Amino acid sequence: MQLVSMEEMRQIEALLYKEARLADESRYAEWEDLVDDDMYYWVPAGQPDADPSRTISVIADNRRRLKSRIAQLKTGMRHAQLPASPMRRVLSNVEVSKEEAPKQQGAQEYQVRANFVLYELRAQSTNTLEVWPGSVEYRVRAKPSGEWKIFYKKVSLVHGTEPLATMGFLI
Amino acid sequence: MSAFQPIPEASARAASSPDYMQLIQSDRVHASLYTSEAVYRDELEKIFYRGWVYVGHESEIRKPGDFVRRNIGEEPVILLRDRKGQFQVLKNRCAHRANLICSDEKGNAKNFMCPYHGWVFSLEGSLLDVPYPKGFTRNKEDAGLEKLPLIDSYRGFIFASFNADAGTLDDHLGNAKAVIDRAVEMSPVGEVDLSAGWAKHKFYANWKMLPENDTDGYHVNFVHASFAKVLRSHYDDAALQAEEDLESETIDWGNGHTELNLGPSYKTEMVWLGYNDSSRFPQYVAALEQAYGHEKAHESLRAGPPHTVIFPNLFIAEMNIVMFEPRGPNECVQWHTPMLLKGVSDDLNERILRQCEAALGPAGFLLADDGTISERQQISLKSGNAWLDVSRGDEREKEGPGDVRIGHVTDETTNRGFWKHYRKLMSRP
Repeated sequence: MQLVSMEEMRQIEALLYKEARLADESRYAEWEDLVDDDMYYWVPAGQPDADPSRTISVIADNRRRLKSRIAQLKTGMRHAQLPASPMRRVLSNVEVSKEEAPKQQGAQEYQVRANFVLYELRAQSTNTLEVWPGSVEYRVRAKPSGEWKIFYKKVSLVHGTEPLATMGFLI
Repeated sequence: MSAFQPIPEASARAASSPDYMQLIQSDRVHASLYTSEAVYRDELEKIFYRGWVYVGHESEIRKPGDFVRRNIGEEPVILLRDRKGQFQVLKNRCAHRANLICSDEKGNAKNFMCPYHGWVFSLEGSLLDVPYPKGFTRNKEDAGLEKLPLIDSYRGFIFASFNADAGTLDDHLGNAKAVIDRAVEMSPVGEVDLSAGWAKHKFYANWKMLPENDTDGYHVNFVHASFAKVLRSHYDDAALQAEEDLESETIDWGNGHTELNLGPSYKTEMVWLGYNDSSRFPQYVAALEQAYGHEKAHESLRAGPPHTVIFPNLFIAEMNIVMFEPRGPNECVQWHTPMLLKGVSDDLNERILRQCEAALGPAGFLLADDGTISERQQISLKSGNAWLDVSRGDEREKEGPGDVRIGHVTDETTNRGFWKHYRKLMSRP
């Protein structure tokens, strides 16, 4: 792992803040544009270190399933997000390191850790405020074309082992 | 020591017990059953503490000393395997000052030491040691952890009761035994494995909406329209056809056990796992043929696992196992884990796991929408002053063997079966 330059840091933060804003505003198509073809989107149900091939997760989406998840949201018939929850999340404590051996040839890849807290108004049913705190691990890449993409997002909820309220949105 | 007076609220409650014969009619049920604190307290007593409830599966406690924490109604308990290999269910409460003995969700223990004053209890609940023993004047035999008097299992599924007079598990399960047989016989060695852990989904709604909705075949076309639009699944044939083309059934098995029988709609093998045939898993097919013979193996591969609620808190949800946990009249939790199979390849089990996550839980393609609808029902019922209709299909219901009732998949045969049994239990003094 290597340290990163101010310029790299600036670009990565811009990418993550954009991702957070698009998720908050339920702009599904634009959010999906930030995701690469090998995306893995993972919300463990309990122990963050558990092996997802043997342990239940809240979400363990490969790219194909994530595509279906977004397509379901875009039908306009997904009751769990009808209407979409008004949301705002704060992303902080961002730490970035650069991968020495990128997964994709010719790309610059980075591992990012951050904390977040998300406030969600459950506008579909109880109209109460739900708080979703956790840490998030991203893997992002600058492709040879200069385009930035996210190819891994793991959301470890502080209360992941506990009963969770319906979570139809992109966390 | 002076005798305690009866607790005033307890006697008041008994005097003003709701009239369940009035609140539950053959064609409708009253809103207060979902909202009333008094009804909820009554349910804990008459259903969760007086009858049989599901507590866990033997694959969760394989070795002596293995334990898991559970709640039966609102009572915290520890389900464990003792040194002799016997299952035990102990109240998770120190006999001294009522501290929670065990705060780990699961683990392996030689004994349980209360962290408050250091009392030590065996896996059978006996009090082994009391620190500073000179001041301890009681009999050790009377100060053990309370042990549930009834515990029994059927093909790995462990049930218990707080009530020594609850009758036999055999009588409680009745027709549901054959349902459990169908589930475990999806495995070539007749064993399922619930070792993938539990995810828990909180509903701001009454617990009874879980068994009711989970065996309601009528909502699929509406609540799950967004799912059906983006993904092909076995529900397309089972629940999403014109009324006269639907071949699936609702079944009231008696004792509150209810099923959505989706099997009749499946024409090819393994559609219940998202495939068009079983060609992807030749070893699985061969193992089932070897174990059960050609005919039965291929019938299982076609008809798939059951979709059945076992009253009051277990749901064999096709290739998933689900538990219902009540948390007051206005909140409940649905637990789920994939029903992994013993004696099959890892890739088949991983497929079962991924399908479980797709369907169930807070972000599930199906259950997230069910959760929202249940919460909307709970909001509309808040006044406790309304009726819910359960009459659909009463006229076209067929009689099965014994007390079994069979309805069209969109009919409320399952809801009526649930409420009939509920009324019987709740009307008892």
